[in-house]
Amino acid sequence: MVRYISRRTLLMIPVVFVVSMIVFFIIQLPPGDFISGYAAKMSTSGEIMDEQALAQLREAYGLNRPWYTQYFTWIWGIVTEGDFGYSLSYNRPVADIIGQYMGVTLMVSIVTMLFTYIIAIPIGVLSAVKQYSFFDYLSTGIGFLGMATPNFLFAIILMFLSFKWWGDPMLGLFSPEFADAPWTSAKWIDLLKHMVIPVIVIGTSNTCELIRVMRGQMLDEMTKPHILTARAKGLPEWRILIKYSMRAAINPIISTIGWSLTTIFTGSTITAIVLNLPTQGPVMHKALLSQDMYLAGSWLLLMAVFTLLGTLISDILLAWLDPRIRLERKGA
Amino acid sequence: MRQKMTIIFMLLLFTASLVTGCFGGSGEANRNEVTKEGEAQSALASNDEQAVVSASGFKEAPMLAELVKTGTLKPVEERLPNKEDIMVEPVFEQIGKFGGEWNFPWNGPDDKWAIGMPTEEAMFRFNQEGSAVEPNVAKGYDVNEDATEYTIYLRKGMKWSDGMPFTADDVVFYWEHMLIPETFGKALYDCYYSVDPVSGEKARADVAKVDDYTVKVTFKHSNVMFLERLAIDNKWFFAPAHYYKTILAEFVGEEQALEKAKEYGFEDLNNFGVWTGYYYWLYPQRPTLRPWVAKNDMNSDRFIMERNPYYFKTDGEGNQLPYLDRIVLTKMQDKSHKLLETLAGKVEITTFDFTDFTVLKENEKKGGYRVIPWTTPSWSSTGVQLNQTTEDPKLRELFQDIRFREALSVAVDRKEISEIITNGLGEPSQAAVPAGLPNQQAGWAQQWTEYDTNRAAQLLDEIGLKWDAAKKFRTFADGSSLTLTIYQEDTTDNEKFIELIRKYYESIGLKTDVKIVDQGSYFDLKYANKIPVSVKSVNVVNVAFRPDELVPLRVITPWFGHYGLHTSSQGKEGVKPEGDIASILEYWDKVKASKTKDEVQQWTDEIIKLHQKNQWVIGYTGPTPVLIVAKNNLKNVPTLVSSDEFRGIGHAHPAQFFLE
Repeated sequence: MVRYISRRTLLMIPVVFVVSMIVFFIIQLPPGDFISGYAAKMSTSGEIMDEQALAQLREAYGLNRPWYTQYFTWIWGIVTEGDFGYSLSYNRPVADIIGQYMGVTLMVSIVTMLFTYIIAIPIGVLSAVKQYSFFDYLSTGIGFLGMATPNFLFAIILMFLSFKWWGDPMLGLFSPEFADAPWTSAKWIDLLKHMVIPVIVIGTSNTCELIRVMRGQMLDEMTKPHILTARAKGLPEWRILIKYSMRAAINPIISTIGWSLTTIFTGSTITAIVLNLPTQGPVMHKALLSQDMYLAGSWLLLMAVFTLLGTLISDILLAWLDPRIRLERKGA
Repeated sequence: MRQKMTIIFMLLLFTASLVTGCFGGSGEANRNEVTKEGEAQSALASNDEQAVVSASGFKEAPMLAELVKTGTLKPVEERLPNKEDIMVEPVFEQIGKFGGEWNFPWNGPDDKWAIGMPTEEAMFRFNQEGSAVEPNVAKGYDVNEDATEYTIYLRKGMKWSDGMPFTADDVVFYWEHMLIPETFGKALYDCYYSVDPVSGEKARADVAKVDDYTVKVTFKHSNVMFLERLAIDNKWFFAPAHYYKTILAEFVGEEQALEKAKEYGFEDLNNFGVWTGYYYWLYPQRPTLRPWVAKNDMNSDRFIMERNPYYFKTDGEGNQLPYLDRIVLTKMQDKSHKLLETLAGKVEITTFDFTDFTVLKENEKKGGYRVIPWTTPSWSSTGVQLNQTTEDPKLRELFQDIRFREALSVAVDRKEISEIITNGLGEPSQAAVPAGLPNQQAGWAQQWTEYDTNRAAQLLDEIGLKWDAAKKFRTFADGSSLTLTIYQEDTTDNEKFIELIRKYYESIGLKTDVKIVDQGSYFDLKYANKIPVSVKSVNVVNVAFRPDELVPLRVITPWFGHYGLHTSSQGKEGVKPEGDIASILEYWDKVKASKTKDEVQQWTDEIIKLHQKNQWVIGYTGPTPVLIVAKNNLKNVPTLVSSDEFRGIGHAHPAQFFLE
């Protein structure tokens, strides 16, 4: 097991390296660079920059060097000093910016994820137990609707309703009167109020898949002989459900938990923009648009690492939970 | 099983904490700031609303009186300038009362001018009629007969926001150690040069201290527009010497300065210089003269600016301004959020483009605000500019043909544009200097405005444009295909207008393409002279104050394209101006060398007349207002002209806004 993990980890290094290089190259592909976008933005607010000022900025940021030089300087800083470089649009080190948004991002993502699992698993189980019942159709229907509605649209609809009924579109995570206030119960309630829309929007988009998987697995499990045996032995139905069928059915869900690692750290981009949530998604979106390549590059690099780590975790979990899976083939 | 689940959960949690740990440091710092703010706010809330009268008869905000009581702040009369040198700011409606916050949606430090302009304190500012400048930070000035010597008087006892005295040394320091060495990345402003009327050579001014409160600016030749141009080019003609002496490399050495830069989060001295020297109002460390000063990190989700206890203005009854305690800038990811927050009645005062007129009006009652239209010094609200130096030689010749511009002008039904694009508020008219501004020309607004496709066809025939085989589109005289390509930035919202004029242009046989590009690419394309047609209008109060859009001095306005590059590169690059364009530049030199304001008027008139004759900028509808949206309980908001020269909302003197 240890050998397997260490081999997989070692393999990750070249993959991350190649991914980061491709990413860095692609970010710089569009015409223009950070400076031209910046100068254009400044000129709309009445500030005029001449060629000399532009050249000076390019020089200061090192943008006049070829992309591979910029790339290696950047990656060298990460490897040797853990320095993720410097964000051009924020004028601050990249690590600072990621740090600033990490807390809120984790909170929103984890709450949403918990919401998804807590809602989806019982619904999945119930709709399997009561297959083809009204409840089954209703929950599956809502689940599919959640998946099929684009998140941003759903967010806008909920914002509109909130504005229409309460006169407040519930932007951000706090009302202004609480934003700087110390943590009190009123502030908590305010936060919870603001969390409703993002949690519903982001949450429902994922429940459908979970419901379907859970339902399918349960249906499979419930016809297995050992369930029949348990039922014949006179065990109460809820006991059979929890102890035997659910335990086996939940396997695929557990083994894919690692994949959600990326989503947890990046948050949901478009929804966050629509709802003005101070999470990582919009920051990265902006970085990509303005070709702020160290910030965007660090981001995509982290995402690549998380994806690989997530896959590794999933594989390990799978091997660990399910004794039928072998790591090495004998005699290979 | 349960055990395994617990372990999985712990594992996930551990990975999460590991990653957050890597970036944890700065998050900690942010939290500290937040709690500090929290305390400040609760202190504020405990005050009663009454202004506090000091022994000398001046009144101050309760939040400052509290600090005076505890001994952390000097009494108000010691913070204000000497009694006779205090600036009394006239209030628009009534004497206000202290307190309240100005909620200000912005999109973060990129939006620095949005908050920079309304909080600006200029050495000289434009009066509210917009006709002349008046002293602001300066107490007054003298100018000699031939406009070569300007003596600027400062206010005795005036202080920076950290309580240090503001004197002539701060002006001379700014000139010697910041403007001339270009520490903030801007070349010395044009207003500091005088022009030899004979040779046209430029000579730099001299700035010298006369005494602690007097500065003299001396020019070699007459510079009659100096104060007006200073009020545009370099309003902030001063800087706190005591602060910059602690960060500029010249004083602390390269190494120390770099260390300082790192402290502020910068990696190099250039950017450090630009941000702390040019966008200084965003830094709490940097003392200013503004009514509100930065209190926390500008990258916070809520960037706070709080009243400056040393602000140099009072109202007529001796209340130290500003009335509002704080400006709270909340970061918005998308520009629609500002609109949403405004509709929900959460924004005290802000500005919108005319495009949002209907939705703002619809929700006026519900949001508890009022929409105040401010006029703009715009030549038109919709219009087209043909790049006179466009790359393709055949197209360039066509664009330079005045008949072609007339054809494009008469080929469009202005009434329809007015109804569809401006709700009928922008009158059908030509791009022209609007009424009430200097250099207005009689009858110009009606030039080529009659909708007449026959006339357009006749003009195109005269030019010699042929038809293609299908008789659908026009071609050049030699039969090669002719296409007008309109470039459009993706941030602007002109699609409807472009589709309309495309319909009209194609109806007279001119094939029209539209390309939408992002802001950065548009900027690059403009510099590379790759943009033939753009939809932009001209916005200028007085060409003498700010010539950029009408005189090809640099690559800025689309119509003159690379003529501007020719001037800015001193003839090394770009396209050499000829004919009327060359005359414009000649007249501009005459404006600069003028000895009297009458002369200035005469030569700017000549420039404008050439614009009237050539109509390089084609307009279809007259200007539409900018919308100032103010909450009903926010008082003292006048109706003025909105322009960059006058600093937008800043023109209304926000220090005297108050909440009822």
